Amino acid sequence: MTLIKTETRGGARPNAGRKKGSSVYGESTQAIRVPESLIPTVKALLDGRKTQFEQLASNSAAILFPAKTPGVCKLPLFGGKVAAGFPSPADDYVEKSLDLNELLVQKPAATFFVRAQGESMLGAGIHPNDILVVDRSIDPVPGKIVICALNGELTVKRLERADGQWQLKAENPAYTDIVIYEALELVIWGVVTNVIHAL
Amino acid sequence: MQPLLALVDCNNFYVSCERVFRPDLIGKPVAVLSNNDGCIVARSKEVKDLGVKMGVPLFQIQQLVNQHQIKLFSSNYCLYADMSARVMATLEEFAPNLEVYSIDEAFLDLTGVCHRDPIAYGQRIRKAVVRATGIPVCVGMGPTKTLAKLANFAAKKWLKTEGVLNLSDPVRREKLMRIVPVGEVWGIGSRTTAKLNQLGIQSVWDLASQPSKRIHSQFNVVVARTVLELNGIPCLELEEMTPDKQQIVCSRSFSRRLTDYSELSQALAEFCSRAAEKLRWQHSVTGCVTVFIRTSPFNPQEPQYQRSASIKLDAATQDTRTLTTTANRLLTEIFKTGYNYQKCGVQLSHIQPETTPGQLELFDFADSSLPEENRPLMAVMDNINRRFPKKLSVAATGFDKSWKPKAERVSPRYTTDWRELAVVKVTRKK
Repeated sequence: MTLIKTETRGGARPNAGRKKGSSVYGESTQAIRVPESLIPTVKALLDGRKTQFEQLASNSAAILFPAKTPGVCKLPLFGGKVAAGFPSPADDYVEKSLDLNELLVQKPAATFFVRAQGESMLGAGIHPNDILVVDRSIDPVPGKIVICALNGELTVKRLERADGQWQLKAENPAYTDIVIYEALELVIWGVVTNVIHAL
Repeated sequence: MQPLLALVDCNNFYVSCERVFRPDLIGKPVAVLSNNDGCIVARSKEVKDLGVKMGVPLFQIQQLVNQHQIKLFSSNYCLYADMSARVMATLEEFAPNLEVYSIDEAFLDLTGVCHRDPIAYGQRIRKAVVRATGIPVCVGMGPTKTLAKLANFAAKKWLKTEGVLNLSDPVRREKLMRIVPVGEVWGIGSRTTAKLNQLGIQSVWDLASQPSKRIHSQFNVVVARTVLELNGIPCLELEEMTPDKQQIVCSRSFSRRLTDYSELSQALAEFCSRAAEKLRWQHSVTGCVTVFIRTSPFNPQEPQYQRSASIKLDAATQDTRTLTTTANRLLTEIFKTGYNYQKCGVQLSHIQPETTPGQLELFDFADSSLPEENRPLMAVMDNINRRFPKKLSVAATGFDKSWKPKAERVSPRYTTDWRELAVVKVTRKK
């Protein structure tokens, strides 16, 4: 490289400074003014470009890039609310809408839905094909409608206690009652809290 | 106050999930199969007692299955994930801090919660979980995570513990450690075990008695930490915040080998749809897409090929269409004809929280050849698919789904689909 000597001081020196296109972004750059609030956004964008270029430069074979030409450039709308028009008189009364879960489900982790089949529980308001809301965490006390595992099958019965014996009653005279001899907790699957019946 | 950590681990979790809705299977041999119904991934006690090992291919034990009428299930991940969430929600009531460690186990910080009678507290936890969810669990306790894990192992193994064991007492600790092989310690893999055995370290006690510095120099910092943890010195903290997934992977083994580009591309589109759904579910966007394809490593006589390709997106997205298009471009880069592909998948990384819906960041340049991000459209799609599963998909997924992995023995999605609820019956009068 030849050193060019000049008579005058200052001014442009040929070939001084960074080479064109040698920036960390792989192309020439330009100084611009940026609104202070946008500095982090712009910085993040530039950092992204930088790493992208670095990765491209390091040329890891597995990484491919889509075309760089930006097609559309979208700008965000200005943030902040603009007061316009008359405020809704109902604003003060806005509450959340009603959620059936609140009504039907006390303990979500322990609540299961099952479908009833058969007609033994018509007396308890349970019809074929109804959906039963079952809470497994509720204590099975006499009088409750329960789901029980009998002979390997899930069935729905009313739990009763008579003469010191636990009994499972069908709310339908055509079906037999069952006396429980084993440990109760082995038999009771959960307590029915609600019936969902389509009309 | 001495720290007290508990590891609560579900017993044979997948099998237990199936049994909750099938009481007829209690006490009978039950096993759950991996994706594509290939291997055994969960075994009931009865199946373990038959000598069936974890991970064995189904065809190897087909005779045992027939002979003992082992009830087999395909993996029903919808059911297991839902039951897992129920177990974790129930556990949350018992500890101020909880770390969900895997689908079927969680660490609870019980420091100062139950110092009077930890065992009774552990029993309360067990009862509450099985009551609420039907899933039996064991509780292991100790001053460190590693000891809690060890206690849980012992609680499962020895019935005398009644499912709860506390290793806070050093005397009891030593007694147990002397009879448990070192390979059972959390984080000690088979290779480390072999090396430890060579050095004469057989039992957990042998390892715990080593100076951690020596172990550090002969092994690594992980094993050294384990030594400290076994001695009741906490090195591993409870990680409460499960951060949003930093990576989402969606991949499957095919039921048959695929050779066609179009077939692979359709499968890939389906994986992209799933991955994008997951992404939107956690309100994130992805900035990087990776696609991988491979032939079967189990057929060494066939020509082998595997390749992956990644692309960094100019604008982070959660749009199924963008991901599908991008993944397809990657597939064209790596696809080669003449191979029998066994698996393909998509991985999303550079995952960040989504910004204001529908708005791009200032200076985000959308690639004009990609579909424009349309969040309302995606929201509609997700809503429809939530009500009517798999009803709506992008056309790229195609109609022929014969590549789908086998799941011939899958149980109903009792807890996540209205149409598949458990049925409660009536026993007839005799």
